Amino acid sequence: MIKILAACGAGVNSSHQIKDSIETEMTNRGYSVQADAVVVKDITEEMMSKYDIFTPISIPDLGFTIPIPVVEAGPILYRIPVMAIPVFDALEKTIKDNNLK
Amino acid sequence: MLDGIVKFANTIFQPLINLGSAPMMLILLTLFALVLGVKFSKALEGGIKLAVALTGMGMVINILTSAFSKSLQAFVANTGIELSITDVGWAPLATITWGSPYTLFFLMILVIINMVMLGLNKTNTLDVDIFNFWHPALLGIIILYFSNNLFVATLFVVFIGVLKFINSDLMKPTINDLLSYPEENPTTTTHLNFMLNPIIMLFDTVFDKFFYKLDKYDFNAAELNKKIGFWGSKFAIGAYLGVFVGLLGQQSVTDIFALAFTGAVSLELFSFVGSWFISAVEPLSQGITNFMAKRFPGRKLFIGIDWPFLGARAEMWATANILAPILLIMSLFLPGNSILPLAGIIAIGLTPALLIVCRGKMIRMVVIGVFMLPLFLWSGTMIAPLVTDTAQSVGAFPTSLDSSQMISHSTKEGPVEGMIAILIGKGINNPNIKSITFAIGALTLYLILFIWYAGKMKVRNKIYLEENDPNFSSDVPAEGTL
Repeated sequence: MIKILAACGAGVNSSHQIKDSIETEMTNRGYSVQADAVVVKDITEEMMSKYDIFTPISIPDLGFTIPIPVVEAGPILYRIPVMAIPVFDALEKTIKDNNLK
Repeated sequence: MLDGIVKFANTIFQPLINLGSAPMMLILLTLFALVLGVKFSKALEGGIKLAVALTGMGMVINILTSAFSKSLQAFVANTGIELSITDVGWAPLATITWGSPYTLFFLMILVIINMVMLGLNKTNTLDVDIFNFWHPALLGIIILYFSNNLFVATLFVVFIGVLKFINSDLMKPTINDLLSYPEENPTTTTHLNFMLNPIIMLFDTVFDKFFYKLDKYDFNAAELNKKIGFWGSKFAIGAYLGVFVGLLGQQSVTDIFALAFTGAVSLELFSFVGSWFISAVEPLSQGITNFMAKRFPGRKLFIGIDWPFLGARAEMWATANILAPILLIMSLFLPGNSILPLAGIIAIGLTPALLIVCRGKMIRMVVIGVFMLPLFLWSGTMIAPLVTDTAQSVGAFPTSLDSSQMISHSTKEGPVEGMIAILIGKGINNPNIKSITFAIGALTLYLILFIWYAGKMKVRNKIYLEENDPNFSSDVPAEGTL
């Protein structure tokens, strides 16, 4: 299971939209993924170490170097499918490049 | 005429209304989504989720207010400080608003306004943040609460909606600068949060004139956030505020622990149930976006989404963390305030707007933020009766609670707009020279301030253009010069 950390400002709306979209699309592409949605300010190094990929809306300054691959997932929020495709393509490339399962 | 339409609709839909809010909104949301071309199974799924979220939110409000009621009353009795309104945060207010059929009406109005403005090239923003249409809808509901005048309520919602779409375009260059977005990135936001920008800009202008030297004392926001750690998380806030209320209410140790853990679990559950609710509106949101996007094929648009993409900037959180204890202390002494900050103590209704106008300058954000906090406490206090009554009418409030107990939100977005809506509603309900003058005066001042602010933002945007294109010439002075 590939574990993905989605984050946004309130941990409710945007991050859940990203989480649901990623889980649906990546499952359709044949990958076993689980995405969790959190408030960006609650992210710690310890929390992040448990995930394989980080998918914020935009890359935040967390006060530490992000140790896992990052894919900016903001375009998912536009609700225009053709604009979200590059995000999913980038996720798929990250999964392949890092041999994630 | 609008009132006639509503009366006719009420007659047709009275059996529906009699079912209660959750079943009624299940049916209305499902039907609305179907009309917009959403598949039946998705539309029904959204409707059921909304009914479930409404029911769930009522349960969590019951848990929190029942637990805190006795202690808050003891708190008031022991301290003499009238803070009897429970701050439930944004999620219950969103749910309560979405539990009203008027929200769907105002949503439809705002979608039409957005499309008309796009068609007339008065905005470049396509607003896909359907969930947050509840903010302007609540303003309309406030006016209805006091006056029952749907026409005026609609006019005010349109007024705010138009300014929000214009503001979304105005903020775009600042957003690109703050988040290092390339020119072709379409992200912007129409959130009501940012209608506080004009007032913040007033203070920022004073800072530019007299206090700009303080900017050199700005500090690293990410480091501060890291040090604060879990103390800023929902469960921690719920826990130590539960202890605070218990201690000041002179409760037993056992009761203090119970308050702490009940506060913690309630604040976590508000967000959890809130996410069901957002999921419920998702099919409708996608349906509306598909509908609107098809009408403007090939046009380069900005896309208005929810504000949290700005959460990437640490300054927003650092400011909210610093303002939280200040908000708590201020609430104890501010005349006219009756809310003890709890679920809304991390002021995400304020700090995104501070970030945009102050452009990440921490000292300014904190100092100006302190001056903005009273607006939120007063506005939250003023709308508490309406919020409580509406919560009761949608079945999201325990009717067994004492009538003096109310709920509201200590940092509800759009505090100024909320207060103006109250003035308008009361002016319509009881028209006299004073009430009409206040309402019209407030609206006029609001518009003048927005026009002034728009001028300032256009100056900033010209400077951004100049910085990004060295060949662009402009006679606009750089920021900071007088």
